Amino acid sequence: MDFMKSMAIAASGLKAQAGRMRIISENIANADSVPETPGADPYRRKIATFNTELDRSLGARVVSLGRVANDKSDFRLKYEPGHPSADANGNVKYPNVNSLVEMTDMREAQRSYEANINVISATRRMIQRTIDILKA
Amino acid sequence: MAITDVPILSMLRTKMNWAQERQKVLSQNVANSDTPNYRGRDLVPPKFEDAVAVSARPVQQVSLEATNPGHIGGGMSLGGDGRYSTEKGGYEVAPTGNSVSLEDEMIKVANNQMEYQAATALYTRSLNLLKVALGKR
Repeated sequence: MDFMKSMAIAASGLKAQAGRMRIISENIANADSVPETPGADPYRRKIATFNTELDRSLGARVVSLGRVANDKSDFRLKYEPGHPSADANGNVKYPNVNSLVEMTDMREAQRSYEANINVISATRRMIQRTIDILKA
Repeated sequence: MAITDVPILSMLRTKMNWAQERQKVLSQNVANSDTPNYRGRDLVPPKFEDAVAVSARPVQQVSLEATNPGHIGGGMSLGGDGRYSTEKGGYEVAPTGNSVSLEDEMIKVANNQMEYQAATALYTRSLNLLKVALGKR
């Protein structure tokens, strides 16, 4: 039944957005993770990517979470000479995570998630209508 | 005459099949609303003009040509797989090459649902009509 396929496609969207959410939370949680040894690199921000793939059993293009890429931008440098992870110049490398960007990303993921939920509930109502034909 | 050959019922079924397929296409669009280079798609609405002109015939039926008297007529409804169209003239295309606008899709999903409800309601009424003819009420 096509409605079940619609739901499965929307569910693939839910899964992808949930995976994105996981990566965003990883970034936010590690926003202040400094390197363990002086001069080493701290946590590097991760970016979720999405792929369209053809699901042959559904005959439709579903979405999946693709490769998790690393953000190649520079780390934040802070001058903290007393910090255990400070290098010779007294600078500490902080992760290249901008919590404002993460928050916006999170909102976007949330919005897409809600849209998928909306599709599922609309589909459910349509199925219910079909069953109602029998009741009449 | 089979019950499925009643023109109004088969027209409504075509409509319902179309709405079902469209729901699938729209859910694809929503699921891929953040995928780079994804272009939104939609279904071409079914045409009922011919069906109204020849109302005695079942709507949108493709049948195999019987070139030999021994052939059994196989029929297949077109309603299930209408033609796809890539949405054009959308509101915007994101820098990633994605042309899906969630707001538009939500409106389309709601619209599709309403159309489906209208079709099922009419289907129920038409069945009631038949029941009246059968003297069930």
